[in-house]
Amino acid sequence: MASPIITLTSSDGVDISVDRTVAERSVLIKNMLEDLGDSGEAIPIPNVNEAVLKKVIEWCDHHKNDPPTAGDDDDTRRKTTDIDEWDQKFMQVDQEMLFEVILAANYLDIKALLDVGCKTVANMIKGKSPEEIRKTFNIQNDFTPEEEDQIRRENEWAEDR
Amino acid sequence: MAQANDSQSSIGVANFRDLHVQTNRSVLIPPIGRLPPEILIAIFSKLVSPVDMLNCMLVSRNWAANCVGILWHRPSCNNWDNLKSVASSVGKPDGLFAYGELIRRLNLSALTEDVSDGTVSPFSQCKRVERLTLTNCSRLTDKGVSDLVEGNRHLQALDVSDLRSLTDHTLYTVSKNCPRLQGLNITGCVKVTDESLLAVSRNCHQIKRLKLNGIASVTDKSILSFAENCPAILEIDLHDCKLVTSPSITALITTLRHLRELRLAHCIEINDSAFLNLPEQMTFDSLRILDLTACENVKDDAVERIVSSAPRLRNLVLAKCRFITDRSVQAICKLGKNLHYVHLGHCSNITDSAVIQLIRACNRIRYIDLACCNRLTDESVKQLAGLPKLRRIGLVKCQSITNESIKAFAYPPRGTPNHPMVSNLERVHLSYCTLLSMDVSTIPCHVFITRVNMEFQSIRPLINNCPRLTHLSLTGVPEFLHDDLTAFCREAPPEFTQQQREVFCVFSGEGVTRLRDYLNRDITIIPEETEATMYDDDEELDEDEGQMNGMMHATGINDEDYIDVGPAHD
Repeated sequence: MASPIITLTSSDGVDISVDRTVAERSVLIKNMLEDLGDSGEAIPIPNVNEAVLKKVIEWCDHHKNDPPTAGDDDDTRRKTTDIDEWDQKFMQVDQEMLFEVILAANYLDIKALLDVGCKTVANMIKGKSPEEIRKTFNIQNDFTPEEEDQIRRENEWAEDR
Repeated sequence: MAQANDSQSSIGVANFRDLHVQTNRSVLIPPIGRLPPEILIAIFSKLVSPVDMLNCMLVSRNWAANCVGILWHRPSCNNWDNLKSVASSVGKPDGLFAYGELIRRLNLSALTEDVSDGTVSPFSQCKRVERLTLTNCSRLTDKGVSDLVEGNRHLQALDVSDLRSLTDHTLYTVSKNCPRLQGLNITGCVKVTDESLLAVSRNCHQIKRLKLNGIASVTDKSILSFAENCPAILEIDLHDCKLVTSPSITALITTLRHLRELRLAHCIEINDSAFLNLPEQMTFDSLRILDLTACENVKDDAVERIVSSAPRLRNLVLAKCRFITDRSVQAICKLGKNLHYVHLGHCSNITDSAVIQLIRACNRIRYIDLACCNRLTDESVKQLAGLPKLRRIGLVKCQSITNESIKAFAYPPRGTPNHPMVSNLERVHLSYCTLLSMDVSTIPCHVFITRVNMEFQSIRPLINNCPRLTHLSLTGVPEFLHDDLTAFCREAPPEFTQQQREVFCVFSGEGVTRLRDYLNRDITIIPEETEATMYDDDEELDEDEGQMNGMMHATGINDEDYIDVGPAHD
């Protein structure tokens, strides 16, 4: 059964055609389609540019046959950072794109993609020192040495392995 | 700077006590800087190790503010040094964050009797704790526990099992302060009485899980009040509440429409009327687990009624309901595929023909215990082997069964529908099945000494063909009490007498593997690819059970509770 094609318009004004079932991985789009009915008009996605939207659609296409999100709650509650192989490859992009995909997944309400994105970032954090984390993400240390010291002292128990 | 948001989830963004996170517009924001707090929090909550969380806190002020709530959600107090460190930060008036307000779960159960009222006093300012677990902290008194509870409107689960000195005072405090309470475990708080339980039942309407095990003074008065006032109850455990009588049970089942689990072991006053008085037309589809261990006055009439009223029962424990007969078993057959777990230990009236019917009717049974059902013979026990999902079987003191039965488990009958290629058996209890080794006559081919027969005819095939086997008990089976075999046994429990030690013979975990290797020492067999899968499955199982137990200890189905209902320490 062929699924109807719909059109999404990215923030930079590019129309992208996509299977409705693929696009409906996004709860936001699904709800909009339900509200709009079969008008055939392009759906504007004002927060996501063409490159990111295409990337997100690529993910939705690969996962279009995943069972509905029933298991997602469990998944997030169980603290695991296991990511399936395809998703790992999918997430091998520069940080600019990685965070844009996460923001888009959040905006478009694609829980499973947001989850994979967060896990990917968590995996980039794991096992690193604060300085290594700052380097990885290009973050500036805005603590005074005293504050850093105080955090260490007040959270000493967390260092117990 | 975002404010801590209480309504959204239990984790919010914390505020530095004195400092403000400044967004310096002149600094170029890196890509990660675009993530709003809720996404940073989602990322941090994927971290498992507190060390990683702490390292995140040390990255920048913004990260610290977003990560501290996750780190302190459930501070680890599993040893004394950690507890001291946590308590000192909580008690500090000038800490960088108000740590005490961030704690949602506090579990001191690992420190048991080291915890005193003084130890917990800094935590009395943690007013947002949702789960408080103080299991086995036996030195705690009303003072310590009440101070923790006083003023906390968020408490959802309280476990104070085995805090034997607690009195009604603590429960009055709970009833006054905790309208959101969902789980209450006061197992072994023997001084608690009906009076404070009445107050709890009248004020904590959201209770879902209630464990009152061993509180001898509980009577119908408070139980009837729970039935009346707490419609959300899902699980209730009244183990050993010996004064509770049948009308309470009728009321619980009739009024609690969500009741899933009802445990009444050793509530010896309960009789048939508890169930015969259930309203005729009603069925109780939510009820999945019913434990009537040692409720001797529950007899066939009641069991028939139970099955027709609660057709979706999954676990039914009738151990030591010694007056029940084949009529009960025939009634249980009506549960069909819903029945997963059935315990009929010490129901010694039961005969082969009823058990055979049960096996045919309920082919999804995973656990069956028939300990001390003396009338059973190989005729029915052999058929148990045809249950495709069977994982645990208890046949302690089934003294008529022979090697034939055990062989059946090693070589399940072919052509059984849905029978797996590989046996699922994990735990097999054969203690005091004294005929096992003596049975030479039924073994046609081999005329070795009996010991050899035992090894080769039954136990070895069993152990080789059941790759998931992790527990095999053969206590009191004479032919197994030889030094070369008992070498693989686990230690007898410390409280055992010399006499008990002499007959103790239980192989578990690694011991099963070593016994298997020993029995196979003379023959080369192709090792089955079981090692990895065995451990995987074990982990899965543990996880399942852990999750079921999740909310409060022992609220799930803990098979272990029932394994040794047979003779003292199988």
